[in-house]
Amino acid sequence: MTLSATERERYSRHLLLPEIGEAGQERLKAARVLVIGAGGLGSPASLYLAAAGIGTLGIVDHDRVDLSNLQRQLLFDTASVGAGKAVAAQARLRALNNEIRVVAHELELCAANALDLLQQYDCIIDGSDRLTTRYLVNDACVLLKRPLVSAAIHRFEGQAMTYIPGQGPCYRCLFPESSAGVAPNCAEAGVLGVLPGVLGALQATEAMKVLLGIGAPLVGRLMTFDALAMEWREFRFRRRSDCAVCGDAPRIATPEDSAASCATHAPARWPRVNAAELQQLLVGAGSGPQAAPTIVDVREVHEFQAGHLDGSVNIPLGELARRISELPAQAAAVVFVCRSGRRSQTACELSAGAGVQRVADLEGGLLAWAATVDPSIRVA
Amino acid sequence: MNTVRVPSPLRDYTSGAGKISASGATVAEILASIEREHQGMRFRMIDEQDRIRPHIRIFINQREVQSLDEPVAPRDEIHLICALSGG
Repeated sequence: MTLSATERERYSRHLLLPEIGEAGQERLKAARVLVIGAGGLGSPASLYLAAAGIGTLGIVDHDRVDLSNLQRQLLFDTASVGAGKAVAAQARLRALNNEIRVVAHELELCAANALDLLQQYDCIIDGSDRLTTRYLVNDACVLLKRPLVSAAIHRFEGQAMTYIPGQGPCYRCLFPESSAGVAPNCAEAGVLGVLPGVLGALQATEAMKVLLGIGAPLVGRLMTFDALAMEWREFRFRRRSDCAVCGDAPRIATPEDSAASCATHAPARWPRVNAAELQQLLVGAGSGPQAAPTIVDVREVHEFQAGHLDGSVNIPLGELARRISELPAQAAAVVFVCRSGRRSQTACELSAGAGVQRVADLEGGLLAWAATVDPSIRVA
Repeated sequence: MNTVRVPSPLRDYTSGAGKISASGATVAEILASIEREHQGMRFRMIDEQDRIRPHIRIFINQREVQSLDEPVAPRDEIHLICALSGG
């Protein structure tokens, strides 16, 4: 795949590097990279990869641009609010580099489509905002033998690693599986706007190294970044022989949807009350024989402290199993609440499994409460 | 005393501190020391069967901990790593 005169000029600073040169740039032109999530990480990663001349760049996202995204998602501007992210990203990347092909995949990645989609690409960048998607992407990459550059962020902290088939451990070797409520996403925990810029640019760097076959990618190395302390650290980890997907006797032969994945979109598995119903329950309880439900807020302590329902108690989801005895086993109902109704469904499952009799949760979480009942509540 | 680095998802237990002190000759003792000062934090990392939770990794300096019985030297730095999901 030869370069045109225009491309030689556009990529001239690459051509000067002996590690890339004309042959390397032609390799990038022939390469196909898929960026999963056009968010904080996907924005800088895809912008740099487009600028670098990756011949085919795919963008997966089923979401729409929200005003709160613009603090960090540099693919979009104010006029993009409300637009589909994949299509808006495609327009921005095409404007940046009209020499490359940009493909918008406006879909939610799931077990049913992961293999078909990922196998069309040579290298995968995971910039998703959900732990369950990270396992899905990792498993698909291992099964398809595709390199994966993974990164994740939380508040002021980031982490990154690279998987290259046959050369080192995968994401599951590091973190074998997810646990309930352990890793709040950006919407739940907040994030420094520039942080994904740092990690997303690192992902683009790793992808280019992998495609060019140069340098030492983060294989078997977890890189962590603390923006507050301004510290980078590196931790070595090995392939696990008992890894469920890349181990000696893998149990995962095809990508699977986690039961908790897409929880905000999937049908609820436990009884739910909407905000208006919960308000009635709380008001009605004082005047009738019915005991008031116990409202358990399963968000993290700092989220609870920022604002919560009067009379609610705070048991972070990660502590619920240990503190299950604090819930009434038989008396009044327990209604779990969280920010959006995702963690509260997990709390229902966990507590019902532990024998708590009447559990329900607040549909749409405190965001729904703020929208329909009490706009003065601060939802962190 | 040993320095323990705390990942941001667990900093609700340390009043926001990213670096705390703990003492012990093994990983288990370090975790017990952490729990005495920061109640509830150990459960977020270690399950009821005393296994490191699958979304948590513990490193002594740069070496990954496989067992809570592993020894810790006085100047070792303990790193608690938590899977992050944000993107």
